[in-house]
Amino acid sequence: MSSGRSPSGTSTIEAVAVTTTEGHRVRRVIVTLLTISAILTFAYSALSIYIATQLVYAPQKPIYATPASLGLIFRYVTFPSREDHLQLRGWFIPGVLSSGRLTSQRTIIMVHGVRTNRADKGAGLLKLSVELARHGFAVLAFDMRGSGESQPAPLSLGYFEQRDVLGAVDFLRSGRLPFPELGRPRVITGWGVSLGAATMLLAAAQEPAIRAIVSDSAFTDIIPILEREVPKGSHLPQLFTPGALFAARAIYGVDFYAVRPVDVVASIAPRPIFFIQGTRDAFIPPSNMGDLATAARAAPNANVQTWLVPGATHAQSFNTAGKEYVDRVVAFYTATLGQDSSGT
Amino acid sequence: MQLPQRKAVSSPSIDESNAPAQSSAFPRKSGAWHGAIAGLIPLILLIVMIVVVFILTAVARQLVAASGFFAQQQAALMVLITGLVLAVGVYIVALVFTFRRVAAWKQGGAVVQVRAALWALGVTALLVVLPVLLAIVLPQQPAP
Repeated sequence: MSSGRSPSGTSTIEAVAVTTTEGHRVRRVIVTLLTISAILTFAYSALSIYIATQLVYAPQKPIYATPASLGLIFRYVTFPSREDHLQLRGWFIPGVLSSGRLTSQRTIIMVHGVRTNRADKGAGLLKLSVELARHGFAVLAFDMRGSGESQPAPLSLGYFEQRDVLGAVDFLRSGRLPFPELGRPRVITGWGVSLGAATMLLAAAQEPAIRAIVSDSAFTDIIPILEREVPKGSHLPQLFTPGALFAARAIYGVDFYAVRPVDVVASIAPRPIFFIQGTRDAFIPPSNMGDLATAARAAPNANVQTWLVPGATHAQSFNTAGKEYVDRVVAFYTATLGQDSSGT
Repeated sequence: MQLPQRKAVSSPSIDESNAPAQSSAFPRKSGAWHGAIAGLIPLILLIVMIVVVFILTAVARQLVAASGFFAQQQAALMVLITGLVLAVGVYIVALVFTFRRVAAWKQGGAVVQVRAALWALGVTALLVVLPVLLAIVLPQQPAP
């Protein structure tokens, strides 16, 4: 083995010897780094995938009662969601005029909240549906995908569910209605609570047939809520939330970052929106209503009303305010849609 | 220009012709590129595999969409998990090959290639853990 010299003057053997000692150390460091990085990222990915599967799945709760139990006529309906044609199940409850006649002229699509169904006992959904029907508004109360009696689907917190609301509009406009003798609705409106309210806003921004919206306890953007709730639900640190959201997108195609009613609410104008929220709402803070109302009012022809219900917690405005809630909602719909003319 | 380097790689003895070849500016640069690319191959393979796995997961989801949520979830998870495990396997095999190559270069005295490849592997380690680092570093604003 000869000891040749490079033009820089360093002996090749010396260089190799130095490099070999250094090289072993560097190599060890790099192998360690590669092993740690691979293990960390693999563990992170695995946990993120697990959280994502938990996040988008909710066991479907059975319906505990029907409008008949509160003395109203109704019929079951089944209709497909728009675009992906998932089968959704619901009730069509005709409005009852003071004369006792049934009507479907002004029909309200009622949308429930997360991990519940069209009869949601907690928010008093069935009771409210019946109250509105008794004030002359027909009600289409249905289960969003993955809820109640509708087809199982990932819970996407509004991303896919808006198609269900749009499917309900299509059903009212062109589907086989359960009371053909009442004719098709003259006007279609929307009411939603919590996730249902956010979903209603997202759907109404795309569908001008929804003529007025009551939005009870909607959120502006789902991400801050997920950033708070995912660590709580998974008992894992906050750093897993972005991974879980990315995994949900990969596995289910759900883009939670696109669920931002605040971005689209201005496009609902000039159609009127009535925002309602409880002052003691700890799940979706009342500032959400303020932000949504401000965003909605950015449209030049906006028609926005707000009501902060004193003492009401999340999605409990109806249960807290009771008759006042019904009176205000009925007054809003009547002012914006006019009276029912079928009885005259 | 490549020929002496290849000879160095294939031979366990130190090839004298390699040292002067690396000392001129151009071959040093070329050797560095060669080493860096060799060091980045595991990362490139990993990224390509992951992209393919995500595409296949989306395709699987669409293909079984009509069969319902649970079938869809099962198919997507199966493709995703199998694909990720495969990607990790390919990544590890590629790393082993790269380290063998680095060892051969070291024996051949191709210092520039060795250094470049080790740098590239260090960068690979950092890039692989980057999603976790970003998840730690990027600010989150949870609702109150």
